[in-house]
Amino acid sequence: MMKAGCIDIKSSEYPPLLKMISDPPEKLYFRGNWDPGIFTETLSVVGSRKNTGYGQIITENLVSAVSVSGITVVSGFMYGTDAAAHQTAVDSGGKTVAVMPCGIMRIHPEHQESLYRKMLLKNSIAISEYEGDMQPARWTFPRRNRIIAALSPALLVIEAGIKSGALITANYAKKYERRIFAVPGPLTSSVSLGTADLIKKGAYIVTCADDILGFYGRFYPFTNPDAFSEKDEYSKSDYVLKILSEEALSIDEIARKALKPVSETGSDITKLLIGNKVIQKGGLYYLNRGGKRC
Amino acid sequence: MLIKVTSVSFSGLSTIKIDVEVNIAERGLPTFDIIGLPNKAVAESKERVRTALINTGISFPMRKITVNLAPGDVPKDGAFYDLPIAAGILSETECFEIPGSTLFFGELSLDGSLRHTKGALLAALFAKEQKIKKIFVPDESANEATVVGGIEVYPVKTLRQLISYFKSETAIFPAHSESSTEKREHIRVEFDMSEIMGQEQAKRALEIAAAGGHNLLMTGSPGAGKTMLARALPGILPLLNDEESLEVTKIYSSSGNIPPGGSLIRSRPFRSPHHIISQAGLVGGGSHPQPGEISLAHRGVLFLDEFNEFPRSVIEALRQPVEDGRLTISRSLERVTYPSRFILVAAANPCPCGYLNDSTKECTCTRKEISRYRKKLSGPILDRIDLHVEVPVVDIKKLAESLKGPPRPESSEKIRERITSAREIQKKRFSGEEIHTNSEMKNRLIRKYIKLDNESRALLLHASKSFSLSARSYLKIIKISRTIADLAESEKIKTEHIAEALQYRPGIA
Repeated sequence: MMKAGCIDIKSSEYPPLLKMISDPPEKLYFRGNWDPGIFTETLSVVGSRKNTGYGQIITENLVSAVSVSGITVVSGFMYGTDAAAHQTAVDSGGKTVAVMPCGIMRIHPEHQESLYRKMLLKNSIAISEYEGDMQPARWTFPRRNRIIAALSPALLVIEAGIKSGALITANYAKKYERRIFAVPGPLTSSVSLGTADLIKKGAYIVTCADDILGFYGRFYPFTNPDAFSEKDEYSKSDYVLKILSEEALSIDEIARKALKPVSETGSDITKLLIGNKVIQKGGLYYLNRGGKRC
Repeated sequence: MLIKVTSVSFSGLSTIKIDVEVNIAERGLPTFDIIGLPNKAVAESKERVRTALINTGISFPMRKITVNLAPGDVPKDGAFYDLPIAAGILSETECFEIPGSTLFFGELSLDGSLRHTKGALLAALFAKEQKIKKIFVPDESANEATVVGGIEVYPVKTLRQLISYFKSETAIFPAHSESSTEKREHIRVEFDMSEIMGQEQAKRALEIAAAGGHNLLMTGSPGAGKTMLARALPGILPLLNDEESLEVTKIYSSSGNIPPGGSLIRSRPFRSPHHIISQAGLVGGGSHPQPGEISLAHRGVLFLDEFNEFPRSVIEALRQPVEDGRLTISRSLERVTYPSRFILVAAANPCPCGYLNDSTKECTCTRKEISRYRKKLSGPILDRIDLHVEVPVVDIKKLAESLKGPPRPESSEKIRERITSAREIQKKRFSGEEIHTNSEMKNRLIRKYIKLDNESRALLLHASKSFSLSARSYLKIIKISRTIADLAESEKIKTEHIAEALQYRPGIA
């Protein structure tokens, strides 16, 4: 069911951007339906394995906008940000490429097998420079990162620790003269320090999907309904939206700030949650700003 | 010469009459035997009795003494046959008559005094049931026995006192129930809700749990205050009524959990066994079955901290009692039923290291570890837990800032009032049924008693799609929203009640 094959560097179907680096893989193994068109417009997305609720939401927002615009999302199929990027791309009907750190016949990490199958079913592919069912090793991860950096004209770093694989990928991207986008985050979070460092060194700061899409000569095709515009049924719970527009908070904190009993706040926030006006991640509630502004 | 003394035997909480027949034969070699399936504690009685008698200054008869505990095919357990046996022997040696309609119960110390003995309440209840007028119990256990009105409880301090009483030399005055002077309303709340800062949602979840008898799961980092919250739950439960008090006291009496001089238990039990507990320790067991923690938590709260550290087999054993409110322990020799209607409060860390989603400390677990941990947390018992709530660590600085204005949190007493009236509403609703609280409703009763209007149903359907709720969770949400509506004294379940109930759906975080 799952097709597998191999593309030689001499083949015309070999991704052109990958060919340009100094040490491209001689052979590129793949699984899924090979279509060279998948590499025409690509964005590489990397981030922390331990992504926060914030990172998860930003990944979903940005990747869905990028995916809907027809840009292929390239990532490393690790858990955390990578998985979120692949998942969002598939969910938005876009294409995605997983660059594996192991032999092409192996799924790593194993527990993401269902995501893997879903990707391949939706005309996305997994690629690797290693054949068979080779185990991933410490050194295959950074080697794999050079492919992620090379495959796209731009790299989006969502969250990164000060010493992380995401920064290794960013270093490759710099070496290959790719555009680097970095998402700002709270400086209290250890996985936002790496991205802050990138921004300091000149990476492009991303505050909305259009920042990325502009690089590809596009803009986000959908105008999101503004969270505050619909007055009717949410007017009663507007106070929650107002409080959340400043920062993400837990329900106890929202109730405290609003000086309302938690029973009432809980009831209001559930309705907002069902109406997709707010998002819940890791015990906190975030305002859903859609892909327009993150 | 044959003397018959009445005593009692326990099998769980039920009692049967035991005739203690003491025969002191005219002939035969001097021996002292106890027959009638005595266990080790009963068999050792003869050494206690002999020594106690000698130390009381009575010459122990050098004759063939045979004690038969009839009926002879019922296994006897416990040290309380000391007093009836001693009374039988004394009536022969000291030449007094043991009056009819009396019951003897108590363990002897070697110096001839009587010790606090477990089960005095059950013995007194048995006496009342059998229309026995007088019961002789150790002084320290008398208070417990007086709970049962309508019989005369004679507190006995020493064998010497008993002898002189029967010889009409001194009097023993029947004990009076001390508990009758203690008012129900004066029970001190151990942990008051007003002492807990922040945690508004968790406190609300406790309130709903108390009102509807729902089981509760709290997840949160170490130090978030899960234990403190759980300990505050008994204080907001409605006070025990007389019948419930007696039920609880019976279990505590039979397992020896009433302290010397103790009386009727008026406050809701709170039990928090450690996770290294064995299955028998939790649900009860033994060849002579003893109540476990679940029965000691009857009418109160069973708190299982570090819920997923409990062995699977132990947790699985909870299923039946949680569902039925009682547990039957069957052994080859006896079959015993203990009641176990409690609110289960389980607490767990959100991940192996405990700091997932924590704002102050970083989680060091891998995804794999977390998903393995979560798997351990799920299972059939989780299906029986209606309310799921997250308990975040309270940021003291933030809290102090935001608490400048608003008043202190509500006291347990005030919350209890709301809960008591919500329980009254439920009692009225289920007057024709065998259940008392919303949490006990099964599918049939949910259909019978809960009618949702179109708006509420639409919200619930919409929610179950966007939160991908299972059918079971769907029913749980209905039950919880019924309790929330009862707390608000609303006859109809409104959309806001359903929306709030959805806050406690399983599987968030």
